[in-house]
Amino acid sequence: MSQKWNITLKVSRQKAGETPHFDEYKMEVDPDEYVLDAVERVWAFMDRSLCYRHACHHSTCGACGMRVNDVEKLTCITFIRDVTHNAGTLKVEPLRNFPVISDLAVDMGSLYSRLEEIGARSVLPATEAEIENPPSKWDPADQQYIRLADCLECGLCISACPSAATSSDYLGPAVLAGAQANGLKRNPELLEIVDTEDGVWRCHSAFECTAVCPSFVDPARRIMNLRSQIIKERFGNLFRKA
Amino acid sequence: MSKPQAIIVGAGFTGTATAHDLALRGFDVTVIDRGDICNGTSGRTHGLLHCGGRYAVKDQESAIECIDENILLRKIAPMAIEPNGGMFIALNESDMQYREDFISGCQACHIPIDEITPQQALALEPNINPKLLTAFLVPDGTFDPLRLALSFAASAKKNGARFRTFTEAKSLIMNGKGAVSGVNVVNRATNQKYELRADIVVNATGAWAGEIAEMAGSIVQVKPTPGVMVAYEPRFVQRALNRLNKPGDGDIVLPQRRMVVVGTTSFEVNELDYVPVLEEHVKIMLERGAELIPGIKHAKMRGKYMATRPLIGGGMGRGSARTFKCFDHKETDNVEGLVTITGGKATTLRAMAEKTADVVCEKLGIHSACVTKDVPLLSYRQYYVLPN
Amino acid sequence: MDNNNNQPTPGKFWTWFNPIGRQTGGWAFILNRITALGLLFYLSLHLIVLGQLAKGPAGYDGFVALMRNPISIIGELLVVAAGIIHGLNGIRIFLTTFGIGVTLQKQLFYTLMALALIIILVFGLRMFTAA
Repeated sequence: MSQKWNITLKVSRQKAGETPHFDEYKMEVDPDEYVLDAVERVWAFMDRSLCYRHACHHSTCGACGMRVNDVEKLTCITFIRDVTHNAGTLKVEPLRNFPVISDLAVDMGSLYSRLEEIGARSVLPATEAEIENPPSKWDPADQQYIRLADCLECGLCISACPSAATSSDYLGPAVLAGAQANGLKRNPELLEIVDTEDGVWRCHSAFECTAVCPSFVDPARRIMNLRSQIIKERFGNLFRKA
Repeated sequence: MSKPQAIIVGAGFTGTATAHDLALRGFDVTVIDRGDICNGTSGRTHGLLHCGGRYAVKDQESAIECIDENILLRKIAPMAIEPNGGMFIALNESDMQYREDFISGCQACHIPIDEITPQQALALEPNINPKLLTAFLVPDGTFDPLRLALSFAASAKKNGARFRTFTEAKSLIMNGKGAVSGVNVVNRATNQKYELRADIVVNATGAWAGEIAEMAGSIVQVKPTPGVMVAYEPRFVQRALNRLNKPGDGDIVLPQRRMVVVGTTSFEVNELDYVPVLEEHVKIMLERGAELIPGIKHAKMRGKYMATRPLIGGGMGRGSARTFKCFDHKETDNVEGLVTITGGKATTLRAMAEKTADVVCEKLGIHSACVTKDVPLLSYRQYYVLPN
Repeated sequence: MDNNNNQPTPGKFWTWFNPIGRQTGGWAFILNRITALGLLFYLSLHLIVLGQLAKGPAGYDGFVALMRNPISIIGELLVVAAGIIHGLNGIRIFLTTFGIGVTLQKQLFYTLMALALIIILVFGLRMFTAA
């Protein structure tokens, strides 16, 4: 049946204007439940002052991103058994590279305004979004399905990116991935935005974004593909001018 | 003339939609929530943009509300919706006995349905149970819960509404005449306590409506009724899948990005702030889900969680109507300045807001009609981009 | 606050070298930076030494004597290692930048580093036996 583990949750706490510190909460958990469940129980039963963001609890809203034992995770789908052990510690901190509102909640305004700037689409035709298990005789163009984009805008990729740690102007993996999904053919005005020092060229191939993405976006691949698109575009322009 | 002031407690579907409606009607709106947008029931909604077919037999009031709002939401919030329709499938004789009632019920509620053969159904959705006996195409959809609420919130913000998240209502401010004139709040991010004054306080806390009403010495009979949801990988179907039967447990499977979510169950609780996932309920979802989509039996589970419905209709559990109600506390318990809106379904959020805003305007003697049917909502991202 | 309330600052460049929580691509990134710094340091030394050599045979002989001891050879091996690692990883970066092998970047790293190890060992053997 369900096991019981005794763990220590180490949660980063920070009210406005303070330096962050850790509070420890000893609690009983079921290793088959999620890190978010443990955080929620801290708030519900142990410490009502805890602030954290969460909404859907099934990896579609992107609100519950946190660093769990130093790795970016969506806490609603991260099993406790995968990140600690009985009598172990579970460290929970807010995402990096975004200002902290309080405790585990961060302000991702910069991510959203950049996504708006490049016109990232939240819904797109199924022909452009990859479909799992398409039926063999099924022609997606025929059915005209619309899909919610894979990117949850959760910010894990930006938190994990070493370039984003030192550059506040860097557009960041999620934004560049969104630009790639649109493509320079469809949105030629994006060229001036992404072919810049703080656009695709700020990426230094750490591939951490793809490593932490919980939603199959593969931002690293998209950034490299966007570079190809840019180079093709620039070369093309060269010949067009000649 | 200064704008009438409204405070909305609760930033879920009802709170954000009401903020949008009141802001358009010229109100100065402040929305407070002890967490962030949709941190309660609304965030964990299944995400089914109901066509109403589920309620067309036993709860036609809800069914009609659903189909009307379904059509409206597709128009005003396309950025948060997958409008790919849905299917009702019958798997056995018992289901087939429901067929006639389903057809006449949908007709009575002007829900367009299209009966297709099992072969046609399998051509559209190869992963459904191949033993299905019949299928109906219906105008269901999938919506992203947080992004739908954010779209309303963004539009409200554009029209001047202020959102104070992580701000908890500690008590209501009563003036000498037993009327509500504001809210004592604490900003949980800064530990700052302060007062918010208003001409009207709207209690949009859904399942928690009773707790807020109690602050004014009022009673709201809301029955918190949670249910389980289980998400599986991968996305087995491209459209919503319903069981053709009397509404029961685990008879809806909804695609959401690269997963499907099976829901739900129904039981009552007293402890609202945390509802643990019950393993027996998860088992039911696995079994019932696998009846609709055999592949679910061996699918990888991606998440499981509980969401607490605010039920207000008479009857118990599934017998409860899924309609909504707006209580003017002046009428129910002689407390002026407070209005509660609860019950309802995610799909009817705009209608709930319209009703609430109508009641509020009538109370304050303001003549302003609802225009939300025709106003396309802003991109949900604007909520974070627009200044506070 | 010094850390600018968790926001990006150029001063956080030390975080580039923190391997905690990182995966393969992140380790490669760190390795590339460390080897780059190492090679830069070596280049500076090299230029200084060349300057010394301009003083003629006395300076040169003294320098060669210094370079014959085992510690110097290890130092030189480290430079060789840094060059090989940085160079081979650089090939990986070059390929992935042009969209080649992006989805295989982890495997590419492991393969190239295995190759680097072999080359370094060969060099090491030759350098120590020649001494």
